[in-house]
Amino acid sequence: MDLHIYVVSDTHGRLLTMETEIGDDENKEKQTGGTPTSSASQSPIGRRRFLQATGAGTAVALAGCSGGGGDSGPVTLGAAYILSGFASLYGEEAERGIEFAQSRINDNGGIDGREVDVIVRDTEASGDTAIQQIRSLVQEDNVDGLFGLDSSGVAQAVAPQISQLQVPFMITHAATPFVTSPQGEHEDSVGNEYVFRDSNSLAQDVYGAARVAEELDATEWATIGPDYAFGYETWDYFQAYCDGLGVEAEFTAEQFPALATSDYTPFISSILDADPDAVLTPLWGADLTTFIGQAEDAGWFDQIDHTLFSVGMGTDYPSDGSPLPEGEYASTRYDPFVPDSETNNSFREAYYEEYGTLPTYNAEGAYRALYLYKDAIESAGSTEASALVDEFTGMEHSGPVGEYQFSETNQATVASVWGTVTYDDEWESNVLDPVNRYEAGPDVLSEALGDSDLPTGI
Amino acid sequence: MSLTSLVPLIGISDVVIGLSLGSRLFLIAVGLSLIFGVLGVLNFAHGGFYMLGAYVTLAVVSNVIDNFWIAAVVGALAVGIVGAVIEFSAIRRLYDRVDSDLDQLIVTFGFVLVIHETVRFIWGSGSYSIDPPDVFNFSVTFGGSTFNAYRLVVIGLAVAVLIGLWLFITRTYFGSLVRGTSSDREMAAMLGVDVPRLYTGVFFLGSVLAGLGGALSAPLQSTSPALGDQVIIDAFIVVVIGGLGSMSGAFVGAMLIGMMQSLGPQFISAGSIAIPFLAMVIVLLIRPEGLFGGIGE
Amino acid sequence: MSATDTSSRVSRFRSAVAEGWTRERFGVLGALALILITFAPPFQVYLFTDFLVVSLFALGFNLLYGYTGLLSFGHGLFYAGGAYGIAIVLRDLGPMIADIVGTGISPLVTFMIGGVVGLVLVIIVAVPVGWLSVRLQEIYFALITLAFGMLGYSLIIQDPAGLTNGTDGVIVLLGTVDLGGTSLRIGGRRIYYVISTITVVAATYGVWRIVNSPFGTICKAIRESPDRAAALGIDASHHRWMTFIISAAVVGIAGVLRAGLASVASPGLTHWSTSAIAVIATVIGGATYFYGPFVGAFIFLYIRWAISRFPALEAYWELFFGALLIAVVLFFKQGAVGGLLLLRDRVLGNNDDSDPGGRENTVDPGEQASAASDHEDEPGNDNMATDRGDDT
Repeated sequence: MDLHIYVVSDTHGRLLTMETEIGDDENKEKQTGGTPTSSASQSPIGRRRFLQATGAGTAVALAGCSGGGGDSGPVTLGAAYILSGFASLYGEEAERGIEFAQSRINDNGGIDGREVDVIVRDTEASGDTAIQQIRSLVQEDNVDGLFGLDSSGVAQAVAPQISQLQVPFMITHAATPFVTSPQGEHEDSVGNEYVFRDSNSLAQDVYGAARVAEELDATEWATIGPDYAFGYETWDYFQAYCDGLGVEAEFTAEQFPALATSDYTPFISSILDADPDAVLTPLWGADLTTFIGQAEDAGWFDQIDHTLFSVGMGTDYPSDGSPLPEGEYASTRYDPFVPDSETNNSFREAYYEEYGTLPTYNAEGAYRALYLYKDAIESAGSTEASALVDEFTGMEHSGPVGEYQFSETNQATVASVWGTVTYDDEWESNVLDPVNRYEAGPDVLSEALGDSDLPTGI
Repeated sequence: MSLTSLVPLIGISDVVIGLSLGSRLFLIAVGLSLIFGVLGVLNFAHGGFYMLGAYVTLAVVSNVIDNFWIAAVVGALAVGIVGAVIEFSAIRRLYDRVDSDLDQLIVTFGFVLVIHETVRFIWGSGSYSIDPPDVFNFSVTFGGSTFNAYRLVVIGLAVAVLIGLWLFITRTYFGSLVRGTSSDREMAAMLGVDVPRLYTGVFFLGSVLAGLGGALSAPLQSTSPALGDQVIIDAFIVVVIGGLGSMSGAFVGAMLIGMMQSLGPQFISAGSIAIPFLAMVIVLLIRPEGLFGGIGE
Repeated sequence: MSATDTSSRVSRFRSAVAEGWTRERFGVLGALALILITFAPPFQVYLFTDFLVVSLFALGFNLLYGYTGLLSFGHGLFYAGGAYGIAIVLRDLGPMIADIVGTGISPLVTFMIGGVVGLVLVIIVAVPVGWLSVRLQEIYFALITLAFGMLGYSLIIQDPAGLTNGTDGVIVLLGTVDLGGTSLRIGGRRIYYVISTITVVAATYGVWRIVNSPFGTICKAIRESPDRAAALGIDASHHRWMTFIISAAVVGIAGVLRAGLASVASPGLTHWSTSAIAVIATVIGGATYFYGPFVGAFIFLYIRWAISRFPALEAYWELFFGALLIAVVLFFKQGAVGGLLLLRDRVLGNNDDSDPGGRENTVDPGEQASAASDHEDEPGNDNMATDRGDDT
């Protein structure tokens, strides 16, 4: 009997060996060993500290300068990702990107001669936890800047807090357009001057999906997405773009199972009963892998002509099994082969040598966040929050993803990348081939959205 | 909300999927019900046992022996042993207490946390899945819809377990002791029944069934540490609707909830998740003993 | 003359110490500590506010569990009720209120109206839910409250009325009060701490008064012996119902504070795993003591925080509380407060041979919920455990 074990969202094979994650541990050592300044603020209100506080009159100011804010110690950045649960793979990938960037920066003179330290915390995919972790990073560990976030729902809850904490936040994955849509533009908009995003947004990504749909011979469309902001927004934007671009499409079925559902069969069955020509699915993390296996069992890929995976490549590169089916469409926020630039090629080669998989967009987004901070701090000559915000605003930057600029709403003007899933023997992995880049700047998006009241988020 | 037509077509596959979901629920609920019927313990950790069964099976298949059936038996027995140890070392201390019911519930809840974190420590927080055994791993297309043949195996095994348990409880000596003890523990003790050993035995059996449910479901779902918490609530609904302590009730309740889970998405987008809880409330208020009778029925 | 004066003063002082002046002194010290915490580093202020809110949640829960013996696994419903009540008012009625009272003061007015709405909402839900639930006891009560909590969870997620924003929850923005040039951000750590402290202290005092009122005494009597209470003509289920409503209201107040603290009202608040936090805190602290939930919440939050400082352990803090919960129920039902009292008696040399049930004379009877009924050899309640079926 031949059984295949699919280690879905665990690259370290813990099922077999019980070994702990090596990448994690290294990172955690850095956290504990690398931030000597944070220990002072850890102790519960010590007497000395308390006297200082009352003496100075304001404890806030004191906490601010007793931490890592000085100009000689390391630059400390705080990151918040999903490190446990259904999407822990994303956190692991981000940690790789961080580790990779951190060692490269520190080996090459650091940031203005200072070492960079990164403290990574687990959001558990919950807004409540994320807010608590971020507060702790700012108020306990006195980080100079923040980055991360994997979930749109979490990002929407966190963004208003960031403007109150007044520390810059570089979102590297969470895709909801509403965090880069200035407060007031739409009832759900929570964008503000402190929140930036270096990866593409759902509005940019789904624009690409509608462009793909334009080319396909499919009129009846359905979706199966996670039951939270991201799932619903993906579907709303897709319908708006199809409308705006004049794509001939009917929207016939929608299913929104809860996150971390272990059995998608009833939902799959319901979509199959509606028998659409094509389906757009923003399922992600282990949920996507579970879905693919169960969809195959139910004959999904025989019955449905085209399936578009809007988050597919994020789990595909590092996962050992249940890959995206060849011939279907998928998007990525960063493609390791496009642009075919020196920066991207050398990044891909070095990353592959280090970790044995192609870099995912989550690794690249986190990697680039460190370089964004490096460039901003060196250019400003300071780690002051307001100086960094000034630097990031309208900044032109380039990295493996290509050249881009931050828009008026603090969104990176990166392209939407969609392609056909194809297995590549050389990299022993799925890649997107052929692959298309759709420029998704402010004008393109607002035109494509037509009469819709949805914000472009850029 | 749903954009599907108002009268959706209920395919054969929907029924098969519903029954297979029900079967997996039955295996966990029947053990829960049996333990409650005899020991009076509502085992909050039963969902954890189910999850543990799935994990042990996955680990055995991938590390030790490449045979799903052997692995499933190992998984079920391992969970049985864990259950027996928990009963013997912890729950036993509480039988004679006033408030024993609530103390037992709280202690077993403590084990929910312990099992959850232990599983996470050993296997990580990611999720795993496995193919059904090769013999049954093919698609059946029937009436225009497709499902995996292994689902039929799971349904068959659940029915076999129901019949086997019923014969065991009604036709064997041990079964008569179980029935006797469940209706009057003091009397059984006076008549010379070794009640503590019987209790451990029943807890072992109930745990084996939960482990078996987890093992057999491993090819049909993804296994992650969140699984136990998800499934225990469904199991509570099933045993309440079927009647705490009733085996046939657990079967009917499980199939009902399984069908509801399967057909829910057809009628209401995102599934009609509120209805089972509403049913649970109504049954508790109107017929707290459940829609079906006591043990052995 | 002066000699007798002194000695009488000394003896008066002694008796004052013996007779509860200690409580006043504790009160003064406690108030001083609460004020001093205002000047702590912001994260510590936040953590302490969190502790106060969880304490109030557990205190409300324990009003039902400790004083009537009903274990609810669904109090998250009321926690969420308070949180969603205020969150929805802030979101939907904020602008309207600003029009009426002016923008300067409106955030504060909206916050207060939201709090009241949250509380009223919780009571409206608790009246029928409690009325239905108290018909059941023991395990069945735990199950029906669990079902009600999960029913609320399902409805919040599915959001049929379009109010709760489904899985993502409602974002809570408290705003800034602007009065003649001075501006105060309500959500600011220190301001919010002060608001929370005043609310929690007031609510705790209210609960304490109820527990020590004739109503509280009757509840305890019912808990000790339902049959005897019934013989005295006490309507047990009516008292349970009233206690249920008060308990839910206290939890609702905690929920209102939770919304502002977390900045989001999320459906997870009504999930059974949130209800379980109250169970964990109460049992670990000592359900038989009035202050048990406070001590339990303190242990829960501060040990969790301490564990979070060690990244290697961080992911596994639940394991610690699971084991602690099992150990407390199995070996020391009096929990942490019982342990502290025992320790105090040992240190002070008081009657240290007394049982650990906390029946020692120094404890005000009001502080003890029902220690007596937890003894295994209590004869009166034996029926309850065995006649399970009849009870329902």
